[in-house]
Amino acid sequence: MTHFLVTRILSALLALLGVICLVFLLIHLIPGDPVEVMLGESAQPTDKETLRHALGLDLPLHQQWWIYFKGLLHLDLGTSLFSGRAIVDLLIERIPATLYLSLVSLLVAIGLALPLGLVAAVRQHTPLDYGAMGFALFGMSIPNFWMGPLLILIGALWLGWFPVSGREGWNAVVLPALTLGTAMAAILARMIRSSVLEVLGEDFMRTARAKGLSSTRAVLHHALPNALLPILTLLGLQLGGLLGGAVITETVFAWPGLGLLMIEAIQQRDYPVVQAAVLCISMTYIVVNLLTDLLYAWLDPRIQFTTGEG
Amino acid sequence: MRISFQEHRDLRPNRSLVCSPIGSAKRMLHGFQLNWRLWLMVLGLISIVGCTESLPDYTLRFGLANSPTNLDPRYATDATSARLNRLLYSRLVDFGEGTIPIPALATWRELSPIHYRFDLQEPRPLFHNGARLSANDVKATYASILNPATASPHRGILQIITRIDTPTENTVDFFLKQPDSLFPGYLVIGILPANLIAKGHPFHDHPIGSGPFQFLERPDDTRLVIERRADGQRIEFVRIPDPTVRTLKLLANEIHLLQNDLPPELVTYLSTHKGITLQQRQGANFAYLGFNQLDPVVGQELVRKAIAHAIDREHIIQFVLRGRARVAQTLFPPEHWAGHASLSGYAYDPEEAKRLLKEAGYDHDHRPTITYKTSTDPFRLRLATIIQYQLDQVGIDVSIQSHDWGTFYGDIKSGRFQMYSLAWVGVKSPDIFRYAFHSDAIPPVGANRGHFADVVADRLMIQAEQTLNRQEQQALYRTLQARLLDTLPYVPLWFEDHYALASTTITGYQLSADGNFDGLSQVRWMGPPSVPPTHLARLYP
Repeated sequence: MTHFLVTRILSALLALLGVICLVFLLIHLIPGDPVEVMLGESAQPTDKETLRHALGLDLPLHQQWWIYFKGLLHLDLGTSLFSGRAIVDLLIERIPATLYLSLVSLLVAIGLALPLGLVAAVRQHTPLDYGAMGFALFGMSIPNFWMGPLLILIGALWLGWFPVSGREGWNAVVLPALTLGTAMAAILARMIRSSVLEVLGEDFMRTARAKGLSSTRAVLHHALPNALLPILTLLGLQLGGLLGGAVITETVFAWPGLGLLMIEAIQQRDYPVVQAAVLCISMTYIVVNLLTDLLYAWLDPRIQFTTGEG
Repeated sequence: MRISFQEHRDLRPNRSLVCSPIGSAKRMLHGFQLNWRLWLMVLGLISIVGCTESLPDYTLRFGLANSPTNLDPRYATDATSARLNRLLYSRLVDFGEGTIPIPALATWRELSPIHYRFDLQEPRPLFHNGARLSANDVKATYASILNPATASPHRGILQIITRIDTPTENTVDFFLKQPDSLFPGYLVIGILPANLIAKGHPFHDHPIGSGPFQFLERPDDTRLVIERRADGQRIEFVRIPDPTVRTLKLLANEIHLLQNDLPPELVTYLSTHKGITLQQRQGANFAYLGFNQLDPVVGQELVRKAIAHAIDREHIIQFVLRGRARVAQTLFPPEHWAGHASLSGYAYDPEEAKRLLKEAGYDHDHRPTITYKTSTDPFRLRLATIIQYQLDQVGIDVSIQSHDWGTFYGDIKSGRFQMYSLAWVGVKSPDIFRYAFHSDAIPPVGANRGHFADVVADRLMIQAEQTLNRQEQQALYRTLQARLLDTLPYVPLWFEDHYALASTTITGYQLSADGNFDGLSQVRWMGPPSVPPTHLARLYP
């Protein structure tokens, strides 16, 4: 177990280092000059040079990288070129909103996908199965930028139950979470269906039924737990995607999260904020994937065993 | 007897019979089924993270497409920040009718061509921290901008200042390197308290000015709350990037006011809606087509003239902009003191365009090809497509390249274009001509991005700036604009109107000529709010 843990954590750290390098290079690879962004077109060349020196942009690349890396270790991500605010403060302000939206979306997705996937598996090749999978196809096909306004029209304008956008009030999360959650539920439902179908044919399921368990009990207590592994992997990936990929949904619903921050920073060419947001999202993916791997190993002892031998 | 969770699991009679290969997975699922405390904790956590403070109902909400990026006037360059900073800070000089500089905080006298004296008008306003604004604050603000260490983007134009003196508490003297009759028009930056500048106060986060509104809070980057000093009315600016969602929010009365930045069809839709009022006013934001003069195709004056004749601006304004614009012939509208009302431009004439192209050496078999750069904004892209079609009709092939704003603007500033469309926003002082068209103003020194070079135009710009008599100056600027229309570094398109859409629950908002938010000083609720706050008692006794 220790060997498995150390290997996984080391590989995650390696991936993180790669991400840090790429994110650092971002400022040097994309077109544009941060100094010009800050001072505008009318700035004098001497002023530009002064600021370039003050920002350390005239130093050799490896020295700049080292300064950037040391800053990261001290949680110093720099300041926004436009607002002048510390980027750490901006992230602290935005991350809880994204985290909250992602968690609620995940609950919506599980709440929708679990019954749909199970019903589709248990009632295979019946109208219920076709209906559930039709919904899944529908959910996957509708883009968020269309689903969002549609839900606003129904939920906020026609019914008046939820606010159109923003994060004020307890019910403000419903529409963005439904928008994000339905797309995820669609993929999850299909995965649950195929996973459960595979398990339903196993010997231990026959044993469970033979000992007199009801069909519902057999499915919930024996089929579902054994079908969890691939579902968990997908959930991990999806959660990473949710945390980093809520950009469109956050823009549509003016949800003050990380995605909206990144979009604003890209539009304004606020390079340090873009760097920090990309780093944050990449780190989320790495951490969630690491946790999924560890959870996977904890759930299925055969995995760590195999890894240990290999 | 209290049965613990573990005991309950162990009492299950059939557990050993089921030889599931994934025992721990099962245990985990059982845990989820039974451990309702875990679910309660998750829900509790979500509600703690999710609950945000809601503002009371009497706050008036203003929908914005973009958040203000910097509330420190020394650094703010975007239009939203500039408009908000006008509410929070006061300035020495403002612009009046005909965009002529007029006194705001101070009147001025020209003691010599290089010496201006500004006298602060009494009563001098109080800063939001209670201190009274003085000449020292003015000096400290401009000295801070002129300090290279501040890295202010406004330093460029103000570098003409060599010294600032404060002979009295009410008087500020500015000494210049050289005569510049447009100088008072440069002093429009909000004044900050000198003692806070010295302490390095974070004005970008906590602005302290002497304007009619004071900063209250910024709950997050998408919301900003300010309070009117006269009566305590609160205004919350809410950033809603998506125009459709902004529209829906106004319809749902979640915001009460919108200004500009909507596609024309949404403006028309909202204007016909009961409960929404539309105000419209002619604007001065100048939309144009720019060209790279070094390019072998659009570098030819004949081709640019053909393009000018090929574009049906009247029809685009009527059908695409829904009448909310007027045709432009030059950078300033006719009502500007330096504008040129009698200038006649290029009429829509496809036959003339074809003739000019033929004269330039092009025909049906040898069509000029132009790459047209624009942003990814859907409306700008639609306009580009229409212009592409109209140019195709006279024999010009156009390929459109749309990039995100940062890349597009970066390309334009670096001269990586053949033809592009853009607009000058909020331009008031005629020194823009030198900045945009003088042959010495090639980036990075200026904004002559197309490398336009014309000896006559250069001479007229310099002469106009050095002339101290306003009438002579006006005549020179008019001659210059006629010259620019003849040589066409830009093909002028139109001036887009400003509009404001307001809920009928509010009244008194006056749309300003340059699209600023000064009208918020007079805005009122139609009736008293449902729960009048104590601080509004003066409004609704």
